[in-house]
Amino acid sequence: MAVDAFSDEWARQFKDEVNKSTVYKAAGKGWKWTVGLVVEAEPDKNFPEAKGIVMDLFDGAARDITVGSAGDAQKCDFVITAPYTRWKQVATKELDATKGMLQGKLKLKGDLPTIVRYTKASQEMTECTTRVPVTWPDEK
Amino acid sequence: MARRKVTATETVDYANKEPSAFASMLGGLIEANVNGSAEKKKDFDSLQARVGIWVTDIDEGVTLDFQKGNLVVHNGLEGKRDLTIRAEAETVMNLSNLKIGLFGMPIYYNEVGRGVALKLMQGRLRIDGLIGNLATLNTVTRIFSVQ
Repeated sequence: MAVDAFSDEWARQFKDEVNKSTVYKAAGKGWKWTVGLVVEAEPDKNFPEAKGIVMDLFDGAARDITVGSAGDAQKCDFVITAPYTRWKQVATKELDATKGMLQGKLKLKGDLPTIVRYTKASQEMTECTTRVPVTWPDEK
Repeated sequence: MARRKVTATETVDYANKEPSAFASMLGGLIEANVNGSAEKKKDFDSLQARVGIWVTDIDEGVTLDFQKGNLVVHNGLEGKRDLTIRAEAETVMNLSNLKIGLFGMPIYYNEVGRGVALKLMQGRLRIDGLIGNLATLNTVTRIFSVQ
């Protein structure tokens, strides 16, 4: 059953998908930093307030994924910021996250060599988001 | 010069007033690599070459003008390049993930290396100017590598 995008239930299912992924388990080995995703508000898309997704990832597993404020996400070691529509494009495979970062459509803050070293893990993380069936606020 | 990043060791300049996201990312990556490794710094200090990188699936590129201890990053492809690498975004990222082996040579027999070699054979990774610049390519690869 589809869940609301960027809701607590979505975060729970996303975490389950990450922990089910054998690809992520291998590719994320050695990762020990938190990742924050800032979803910027787009009131005209029925997404009136920014949200932050905080991902506590450790050694190929998701210890916790929670949804809170943008400020929560901004405190993480790595922060990726984009408007709601861009994240929707990533989650629906319309936009490849790597290309999005190279084009500046997704803004990355954090140690670049580390994130590049874990390119495969971040690609699989994106794949995991696409496996969660979602109801999008602008389609309600 | 449009902008100089002020860091502990100033190594990267941007030729354009507004560097593209790709230019900032590559410049930032090289700067972090060089400042984090004495071996990469040695390579960086010895390298004089103009290297173009064109990402075929986003139609964006940069020219990296290495000037023995300083790098100027230009948006887009500029003239007089010694080497030009053309590949998809994923392959460009994989170039940064090539492991460096004996004698400073990139390793092409592990998973990442095989993937890069396959793209080269398939023509999805093109390197113009390779003849006569193989040593330059290896040096650039070592500076890029995050492994």
